[in-house]
Amino acid sequence: MSDSEKRIVLPGETVSDSPYRSEGTFVENGKTYASIVSLMYEGKVIPLKGYYIPKYSDYAIGIVVEERFNGYVVDLNSPYAGQLSSRESREQFKIGDVISAKIISVNEVKEAVLVEPRRFWGGEIIEIEYVKVPRVIGKNASMLQLLKQYTKTDIFVGKNGRIYLKGGDTALTSLVILKICREAHTSGLTDRVKEFLEKETKTGI
Amino acid sequence: MNENIQLIKDGKRIDGRAFNELRELKITAGVLKKADGSAFIEWGKNKVLAAVYRPREVLPKHLTNPYKAIVNCRYAMAPFSSTEEHGRSGPNRRSVEIGKVAKHVFENAILIKSFPNTMIDVHMEVLQSDGGTRVAGITAASVALADAGVPIKDLVCGVSVGKIGGEIVVDLNKEEDNQGSGDMPIVLSLRSGEVLLWQMDGMFTKEEIRKCFDKAFEAATKIREIQEAALKARCEAVYQTPEEGYEAKPDKFTDENKGIEVV
Repeated sequence: MSDSEKRIVLPGETVSDSPYRSEGTFVENGKTYASIVSLMYEGKVIPLKGYYIPKYSDYAIGIVVEERFNGYVVDLNSPYAGQLSSRESREQFKIGDVISAKIISVNEVKEAVLVEPRRFWGGEIIEIEYVKVPRVIGKNASMLQLLKQYTKTDIFVGKNGRIYLKGGDTALTSLVILKICREAHTSGLTDRVKEFLEKETKTGI
Repeated sequence: MNENIQLIKDGKRIDGRAFNELRELKITAGVLKKADGSAFIEWGKNKVLAAVYRPREVLPKHLTNPYKAIVNCRYAMAPFSSTEEHGRSGPNRRSVEIGKVAKHVFENAILIKSFPNTMIDVHMEVLQSDGGTRVAGITAASVALADAGVPIKDLVCGVSVGKIGGEIVVDLNKEEDNQGSGDMPIVLSLRSGEVLLWQMDGMFTKEEIRKCFDKAFEAATKIREIQEAALKARCEAVYQTPEEGYEAKPDKFTDENKGIEVV
């Protein structure tokens, strides 16, 4: 895996001569062009910037921002808010409550309907860039496993770029997540994070 | 006509440039921390700061469009930007006009249909002006949009073309703009060859207009290279592979990176 294979593509650049559907691209006259500054790697387009748009079956971490007679409006760290019906839970939420929820449907104007709300108690939330969420999870959740193993923190990663941490060494976990975000698209990241964690847990922070 | 003779001397322009030579152009992306995307352009003596905010809820609410995003463009000149009247006090006829034409440029450049019910803010602030600030602003704002991660069809390039002393020249400065016999700011998308903005002042023949467009496309190629370089410099970190012990310990656990505490 050499870095020379990686290539930055800029908006308007041709990605493929055939139609190809992916995040950060658009199709015009049968050709695919990049629409976001992305990384072209092994024929795939990986956006380097961007923001969360609600998507079916995603688990997201939201903050209750409004209470209505039949439910709640939940901020999803996105231009579009989520709607949570009060039928979904026996629990009553208050403005400012942090919840995790599943997106069960997204309509034409991208309004998301949420189900399975779970309120978080204690712990803390960090916000990272949405495009870096896959790095924090890693291949087959390898990075997440590593973090949980070394720091003993309960971690819940929302697809919308919010991460919930509770218990264990949350300070170290936050540091490592920030490190992952900073070095997101470098090669051999999991190994470096493992090395860093080993060093930190041995000496204490 | 006397002035026209002064503008071109021995085949060179007033500042010693050739007819299709651009002024020195430098773009820096990501200069503002709070804005989602930003760019600073230094084009000759022009200095323009552009900032972009990602799609958000539309305010006032009645402007909401369920089919596409609304693009809000603001062009403003700082009171100290030039010795002339403009920029003296808030919005005026000129800045509203330029905001409007820039809005039409970005409505055609951004994939607005993918963001119904939202609003995208594009700000262009002229800090120092020396002719051709609207094209400088749009060129910078285009880089800022890409920096913000707003999906766009192409990086748009703006350039002004004009006629001085019977010659078609590229990238007019203030003297050439005021004293010359005509000028036209043009904004292009090089990918599709579309013209997104075309304004004109003065008289041109059909042939001259054709020549102007040829020169504008030629100049846009150069501008696009500089835009690309600015964006690539911003994403340089992608190529870096940290060496052994590279910043093994990140900065202290400060309040800034602590995040939201759940009570």
